[in-house]
Amino acid sequence: MKRIKQNLPALPILGYLLLLVGIPLLLVVILSFLTRDSLGNIIFEFTPDNYRKMFDPVYLRVFLNSFSLALFTGLITLLVGYPVAYFTAGLEQKRRSFVILLIMLPFWISSLLRTYGWTILLGKEGLINNVLMFFNIIDQPLNMMYKFGTVLTGTAYMLVPFMIISIYNSVDKLDRSLLEASYDLGGGKWKTFFNITLPLTTPGIARGFTLVFIPALGLYYISDLLGGGNTMFLGNLINNMATRGRNRPLASAFAVGMILLVLLVLFIYGRVTKSGKESLYQ
Amino acid sequence: MKEQLLSIRKINKYFGRSHILKDVTLDIKDGEFITLLGPSGCGKTTILRCIAGLESIDSGDILLYGESIKDLAPNKRNVNTVFQNYALFPHLNVYDNIAYGPRIKKSMGEGEIKKSVAEMLELVQMQGYEKRMTHQLSGGQRQRIAIARALINKPDILLLDEPLGALDLKLRKYMQTELAHLQKQAETTFIYVTHDQEEALNMSDRIVVINEGVVQQVGTPSDIYNNSKNLFVAGFIGDRNIKEVKVLQKKGDFCSVKLGNSVIYIKPDRSLVDHDKCSEMEAAVLAVHMDKMKISYEEVPNSLYGQITFVHYAGSQIKTEVDVDGELLTVIEYQNDNDNYSIGDKVYVSWEETGVLLLPKEDTTGRREDEKD
Repeated sequence: MKRIKQNLPALPILGYLLLLVGIPLLLVVILSFLTRDSLGNIIFEFTPDNYRKMFDPVYLRVFLNSFSLALFTGLITLLVGYPVAYFTAGLEQKRRSFVILLIMLPFWISSLLRTYGWTILLGKEGLINNVLMFFNIIDQPLNMMYKFGTVLTGTAYMLVPFMIISIYNSVDKLDRSLLEASYDLGGGKWKTFFNITLPLTTPGIARGFTLVFIPALGLYYISDLLGGGNTMFLGNLINNMATRGRNRPLASAFAVGMILLVLLVLFIYGRVTKSGKESLYQ
Repeated sequence: MKEQLLSIRKINKYFGRSHILKDVTLDIKDGEFITLLGPSGCGKTTILRCIAGLESIDSGDILLYGESIKDLAPNKRNVNTVFQNYALFPHLNVYDNIAYGPRIKKSMGEGEIKKSVAEMLELVQMQGYEKRMTHQLSGGQRQRIAIARALINKPDILLLDEPLGALDLKLRKYMQTELAHLQKQAETTFIYVTHDQEEALNMSDRIVVINEGVVQQVGTPSDIYNNSKNLFVAGFIGDRNIKEVKVLQKKGDFCSVKLGNSVIYIKPDRSLVDHDKCSEMEAAVLAVHMDKMKISYEEVPNSLYGQITFVHYAGSQIKTEVDVDGELLTVIEYQNDNDNYSIGDKVYVSWEETGVLLLPKEDTTGRREDEKD
């Protein structure tokens, strides 16, 4: 009884989650086992066909595309984000706040607009091509749009702040006396980094990786705008199937597949930061 | 004769505009247990960090075996530090923590490391703890591991930055003895930083008293305790009554001084004040150990007459405050049969001939900040 009373304030959020996340999710799962007629109307007839289709090589390829996009996005944001986070954490308070402000600034602008911004930069008539042509470095405009790399650039750009902030939090909490202890015991800057800083900021890396990987799997407007449909990703596929393809059951099955992929990542994240080790490290 | 190990020559250090170390000069012999003692913020930890290389110095030099180390990075200096919070690596177990130094410097093979770690664990009496993670250790155990982690590198000097500060009183007392033994056993020079005079007096071969970035006095514990060189040291070490007096005249070894309205004769104990010039000084400062004073109801020669204002029983000791013409004197005595002092009693206060210091009042370096200690 007491426990129920204690948890009473959590009821609204629980109801909210149940109504707007739980039930729709359940509907998606149910839908994924149904089928449809040629007009896209749902036919209530249980079938695992949708899942069987997922293992079609064409579709497996889409899974692979999305997985590698998310993986490379994670790696690129890590390589870019770690040094930024590391040096930001080392700045004096005033400058640090300013740099963090700069990192967060893009969030104030619609991400869709910022994605369009990349087409202005990378397009045939875009800024980069114009500049390179002007200085006669190239005589034909480079074809930088509508490739896997373009989508990767856009996705990594969009998600890098999450990586930076996650790692920054880890580096910031790092006890500086541990680094001094390492120097004192004979470690140089690099050895100290690889033996002390990196292992102790692993929780931040894992957190950042998760925060970047999961949205990278599902973001579809970036691949739509920058990829032009040349490379098919999960998000686009689901979007296409549910709208133009009029096949909501199949779209649902893919959505479930994507959720499973996300759960796998969360599971790995849980293993990396297992048993509250992070709080002990920092 | 013991070799000169470390020589600190007139080092200065600024943090922004504040002058932290002012011409600090210090010589340390091989095998010494030397303590840097001073109130918080006096610069003692900064001196330690300068020796370790964790802080740079703005001028002066630091010589180890006669060679300057001031431009060497901390990892190139053969000195190791036991940090105030121990700074054990939380992601490594006890074994890997202790093995960190030799591994990172590649100074030993794994076989030799295994042997050395075992030796170190034996030295600090922590055998069998190899596989423990550091968060599973108590404060005292962490401290031992921190010492083992430093000593395995066979440093020329071990620097200890208030290592007992985080421990409870009982453990602290125990570890004082332990550390002193350990230092003799390890045959390593210890430079120990503390603000606790008792720790310093208990463990050290020599004590360096520091205040506001200036070395006030260097000497053996008994030297520092009995023969304080200036007002600051007199006030910081031991419990003394420190009173301003007027010097009236000199008679042989004795001086007559005026405290409040009373005149008494004192025999300054090897004080810095030149005896012959005793009478030339108008105002001076009298410093007497509280526990070298006596209270009696009968009149004794050369005593001060006053009224008891406060009596405090503290275990075996009894602390009494006596008001002598508006000047408050504190007396600490061991409890005895005639200790039934009560507030308001008129008594005579006297002191032993020795243990009295007469210090010049104009004291450029000394400033009393010690009331809390």
